[in-house]
Order: sequence, then C-alpha cells, then structure tokens
Amino acid sequence: MEVDISTVEQILTTDGIPLKVSLQKTERKNKIKAFLLVLPLLAFIIFTFVVPIGDMLTRSIDDSLVNEVYVKTFEEYRKWDKAKDELPPEAVYKALFEDIAYGEKIKIGRTITRMNYSKSGWKSLIRKTRRQIGKIVKSEELPTSYKDALIEINERWADPTFWYSMSQMLSESTPIYYWNAIDRTYDQEANIVMQKKERRIYVKTWIKTFKVGVYVTFFCLILGFPVAHLLANLPLRLSNILMIFVLLPFWTSLLVRTTAWIVMLQQNGVINDVLVWLGILSDEGRIQMVYNQTGTIIAMTQILLPFMILPLYSVMKVIPKSHMRAAQNLGAKPAKAFTRVYLPQTIPGMSAGGLLVFVLAIGYFITPELVGGKDGQLIGHWIAYHLKTTLNWGLCSALGAILLGIMLVLYWLYNKIVGIDNIKLG
Amino acid sequence: MSKFIKAFLFVPFIALFAFATNADVTVVSWGGAYTESQIKAYVDTYDATTVKFENYNGGLGEVRAQVETGAVIWDVVDVLPDQAITGCDEGLFEDISAEYGNFTPAPDGTGMIEDMANSGVTNLSDCCAPQIFWTYVVFYDPDAFSGEKPSRIADFFDTTKFPGKRGVHTWANGFIQMALVADGVAPNAVYIVLKDQSGAVDRAFAVMDKIKDDIVHWSSGSKPLELVKSGEVVMAIAYNGRVGAANLSEGENFEYIWEGQLIEQEYICLMTGAPNRDAALDFMIHASSPTSQAEQAKYITYGPMRASGIDIIVAGEPWFHTGIDVMPQMPNTAERLKISVMGDPIWWSDNGSEIDERYGAWMGN
Repeated sequence: MEVDISTVEQILTTDGIPLKVSLQKTERKNKIKAFLLVLPLLAFIIFTFVVPIGDMLTRSIDDSLVNEVYVKTFEEYRKWDKAKDELPPEAVYKALFEDIAYGEKIKIGRTITRMNYSKSGWKSLIRKTRRQIGKIVKSEELPTSYKDALIEINERWADPTFWYSMSQMLSESTPIYYWNAIDRTYDQEANIVMQKKERRIYVKTWIKTFKVGVYVTFFCLILGFPVAHLLANLPLRLSNILMIFVLLPFWTSLLVRTTAWIVMLQQNGVINDVLVWLGILSDEGRIQMVYNQTGTIIAMTQILLPFMILPLYSVMKVIPKSHMRAAQNLGAKPAKAFTRVYLPQTIPGMSAGGLLVFVLAIGYFITPELVGGKDGQLIGHWIAYHLKTTLNWGLCSALGAILLGIMLVLYWLYNKIVGIDNIKLG
Repeated sequence: MSKFIKAFLFVPFIALFAFATNADVTVVSWGGAYTESQIKAYVDTYDATTVKFENYNGGLGEVRAQVETGAVIWDVVDVLPDQAITGCDEGLFEDISAEYGNFTPAPDGTGMIEDMANSGVTNLSDCCAPQIFWTYVVFYDPDAFSGEKPSRIADFFDTTKFPGKRGVHTWANGFIQMALVADGVAPNAVYIVLKDQSGAVDRAFAVMDKIKDDIVHWSSGSKPLELVKSGEVVMAIAYNGRVGAANLSEGENFEYIWEGQLIEQEYICLMTGAPNRDAALDFMIHASSPTSQAEQAKYITYGPMRASGIDIIVAGEPWFHTGIDVMPQMPNTAERLKISVMGDPIWWSDNGSEIDERYGAWMGN
C-alpha cells in the first residue's frame, strides 16, 4: 500500500529535532568519514593512474612545441602556393631564419626529434643550420637573400620534400601519430596516404600481437580447464599438492621461466636432444622451436597459465557435484551432462581467465623479446623503442592509447555478450 | 599537463633517494662487466669525491623524464653516440664544450680533441666526454670448422661456402654496414656511400636477403656467445667485449672477423641540472684521461677512444689484470682500424629510426 508521506505526522527525536533531519545529520557525518577513509586511495588512483594516462593521451595528439618554435615560419608557410612554386617563397626562408636564430636552443633541439620522424634528415639539417645561422647573426651581416643563404648552408633547403614534410606539423593538436601507428602518413597536401612500403611495420605488428594473444588465450584455456577441474574435484590433500605445482611457477621470476624455456626448446636443448636420442629425429633434422613464434607462444602460455587456472578453479570449486549426477540420473549421457550442465556454469571463470590472459598477452614485452627472435617484436617492443631510442613520445603514446582503446572495446563487447556481473576472479 | 603536477608526482619518490645519496656523484651506466670495469678503472683510482654507479637500460627516456620534471637525481650518464648528440640537442645534457681545454691532455701534450681525432673521432658532441670504443664484430669457434675457416666479412653472408646458421641482433645498426662491406664497399667509405647513394640501404638489404632464412636473432648481449658455444649457429655478430671476456677469462678460443666490424663510440655526458655538477665534471675529466682509459682495458676489451690510451696499453703489455696480452682482443689497433667501419652517429641519429622500422618489417616478412 502506498503512503502519502506529506500527510504523515513528523516524528521528532527527544531533543525536538525532526527525526529525518537528525538521521540526515548522522548519515552525512558517516559519509564524510567514509570519504576520508577512501581519500588516500582516491588520491593514489588519481596520481598513479588518471594523471599519467591523461598525460599519455594528451601527448598522443600534442604538437604544440613545434608550432611554438616555428610560429612565424608556419604562418608564412601556409601562404605558400605549392602548385605555383616548387620551393617556398623568400618570406618563408626569412621567417625560418629568424625562428631559428632567435629561438631557444633547447626548444629547437626538442622539435627536431619530432620533425625527424616525419622525414629522416631533419635532425642534422636543423642542427647544422642553427650553428651556421648563429655565426651569421654574430657577424651582424644579415644576408640579402635568406633563401640563398640557407641553401648555401645546406643544399637540403632546396629539396622540396623537406618542405613538404612540414605540412604534417602545422596544427597544434594532430592525429598524425595515430595515423603513423597504423602505417599512414600525410603527403604534401596533408592527405592521408600509406607510409613508404618498406617502412610499413605497425599494422603487421598489431596483427601479430593479436594473433599471439588469441593463441595464448586459446592454449591457456585448453590446458587450464582440465587442470582447474582436477584441482576442484580432487580430495583436499591431493588438490593442495597440485595447487603448489600451479603456484610455484607463478611465484618464480619471469626471467627464470623464460630462460628455462630457451634451455628446453633450443636446437641443442633438452627436448631436441631427447628426441634425437630416442631416434625420432635425425641429428640434422632438429626442430627449430625457439627464437620464433612457436617459442613465444609456448613460453607465454606457460607463464600466463595460472591466470587462467585460478579464476576457473574458484568457479568450479563451488559448482555442486550433485548437478552432474542429477543430469545423468535424468538420462543425460556424461558428455551431454558436461556440455549442458557443467560447462555453462564455468563460463564466468572461463571469461575472467580469458580476458585476463588476453589483456596481459597483448601487452607482453620481455618474454617475446627473449624467446621470439625475429618474431618477438610485438607492439610492446615498438612502444619501448620509441620511448627510449627515438624519443618520439607522440607515437609512443598513440600506440599505448590504441592498446588501451582496444582493451576498452573488448571490455565493452564482453559486457554486451557475457555481462560483466558474470565475471568471477575468485 | 602542467609541469607543476609532474614535479609534484615525482618529488616525493625522488626526495627519498636524494637524501640517501646526498653529495655523492651518481653515474649511471649499463651494468654487468662493463660497469665493473668502470668502477675499477675510474672509481677505485679517484679520491676527490665518492662516486656511485647505478644501472639503467639505456635510452634517453629516463633522462628526459628527470629533466622535464626538474627532479634530476643523476649526474653523469653513459650513453651511445647518437644519444649523446640527441641529448645535447634537446638540452638534456649540459654543453661543456667550453671546458674541453681543462680535460687531461695526452702524455705528449696533445689536447683531448686532437687525441680523439687521431683515432678517427671527429664528431664529439658538445655535452660529453669520451669513454670507449665498442664494436659489432663477427666471431666464431674455430673448432666448428674442419677445413677452411672464415676470414672475410663476405664469408658471413655466404652460406654455400660456410653452411650453418648465423646469429644476428634484432636491430639494424652494425648489420647493414657489414652487408655493404661484404658487397665490396671499402670499410672507410661505408658512410659516404650511405650518405651519397640513394639506393645504398636497398643494396644492404639485398645482401642481407641472402642469409635471411639462416639467421637466429638475438636481443641480449650474452646470447650470441651461448648460440655459438651451443653450436646453434656457426658465426654470430656480438659486442666485441663479450667475446674478449670469453677468451681472456673463460678459456674460450673464439676468433674474430675484424673486417667490416662497426666501431661505435661510448660517451659520458653531464645531466642538465645535475645535483653535483662541479664534482661530476671533475670526475668526467678523470674518467676520460688517457691513463684512466687505458686502465679500463685491464678489465674489459673495449678500446680507449683516446689514441694515447692505446699507446699506454701497448707499452705496458701484458696489460690484462690476469697477466695476459690484451691487444690481440682489442678492436682498435692500427691495422684493425683500417678494415673497420667507423660509426657516424650523426647520420645514424637522422636515419636510425627509419632503418630500424624497415629492419623490423624485413625480419617479420
């Protein structure tokens, strides 16, 4: 029955304050207390998660530095009619001369790392030019033709391809890094075109990364399911011992396990030696199992297996054994009882394990690097490469952001198909 | 994102370390036997301040993060030559070119810059002091060949003459230069060809194609030695110091193919905003003196970048700390320099990323 609240007489506490107000007051106090309790955690999450990821996402589209340093040059550059003149007009050269002559050395230095990714050669071109311009400015004899002066400093200033590559840098926020991350770039008219043929590496790497991720998840599921089933159904004494066999490798250093796989799999390794000894392989016919994709998948599957077994185990543990018996009692053959009654109940565990393994696998770096040989360069390799070696943090961030985006899409798909409440980690 | 937030993020972590290491000069290097040799040669012979070595994994990523946030905890960083140049351009390292006059001259009075030019280095970055030469060199186990043994770099690319797999690293530098030498380019002309001939890189890749299916790729420096030792490959490219250590300290008997080896430079650079700048600079002067550089060769077979350092070693043989001659393992003797490619970090810092991407695509095909 519905009660109209307005007609109910107000209940007062002993000190005459309406009960509602009094309750609200204590409630608010509790809420503040609760908030204060989680505040450190919140701050921790903001500073270690939200801020760095925000920073990464910003960097992946940020191109403001180059626009700040070459502000005059770019202004003149936009006026250049590429159809009419092969090389930019004198005004562009003059602006460039001034931007370099009076710009901050450090800022210029930083822009050339970025410019060099658009076209190899910018680095030394600007470095040399800056040195020579410094001398000219010191001598106080400014050139009559800046164009001739710059071309005299370095003939690359007469090479239109350098000027064309500047068209990629003209706006302060740019999607160029995202295009680079899928092997696209801009042409001189700022149309999106494919990267040079021999430089197309990222699409291939993305595909390879997903392939490895899918394989590893699949094999983890195939291997992990029976183990988890055994763990959940054996008597406690035995399953505890078995559990140690699952956890012991889990607690062992990643590097040790990776190296152990090299010892096992290499051409003069344990497995090949045994096969040759048994006469299954000839000494010349030793199988190449490591320093390729096979090795990567084998090693990663073993390393990530616990992430599949543990969620599966925790789900299987609580499935009553009587369900299978009841199904068989009602006439189902064991296989049918398994597929219709048992398997559906393990879906939360399978999906939790699958998602966990896949997400870990596509971000993997060190294991594929060590056992993968030429196939070991997954997307993590190129993120590290641009972070450390080329300092192209824009591309590095874009690659990271795409990885993050893919994971979010997977999560969304998963929620649509299986439902996130069905996930069970333990 | 504002600099303030970043600094705010960084400072508490940094402060912990900073207090603990107050006033010591912190030098960051690659670790392992290399850092050990640096400590023995530079720290144990130096009393002015306490110097502490830390390890890092290379690259300028951490250097840039420290300078950008303004929370600099390192003083000196040991870097590859192209990073010495990029770091100097980006202002991550301090310009110390005005101080070069104060660096220790050679025993005969030759200044440091000229002393380096005498061993072929003319592209010193303005922010750094010389350390050592290290090389990408091909080596093999002579016992693995019953008949003729490989002696030219072309043999590395010839699997009909010398069948078997080859160990090669997973990045391009070193390998493409060797490919050009194997194709008939004179070692001292390799970079001239790369600079002036537009198809030079294609040419190198065409030579590399010949052994593409026979390559086992490695990515960590100890791997090529394991590969050759276990017989997985018959020849491999390796860092020369690793091969030297195996020969001098582990009783191996590896042989080198010096022809076409790529000589790379290694520098120590002063961080912009280094907490102990003056002490650090003084240590850099000490660590790049000819005697210090020669001293390092007692523990590792990387060559002094200063020509006068080599003279000290030659005069002092047997120089290695175990009482063995070290010169047979050294990459930069006068004869070997003639058949070696001298790295050009300026060209590489322009073109390295494009070539590395291409190499990645090449490996994956």
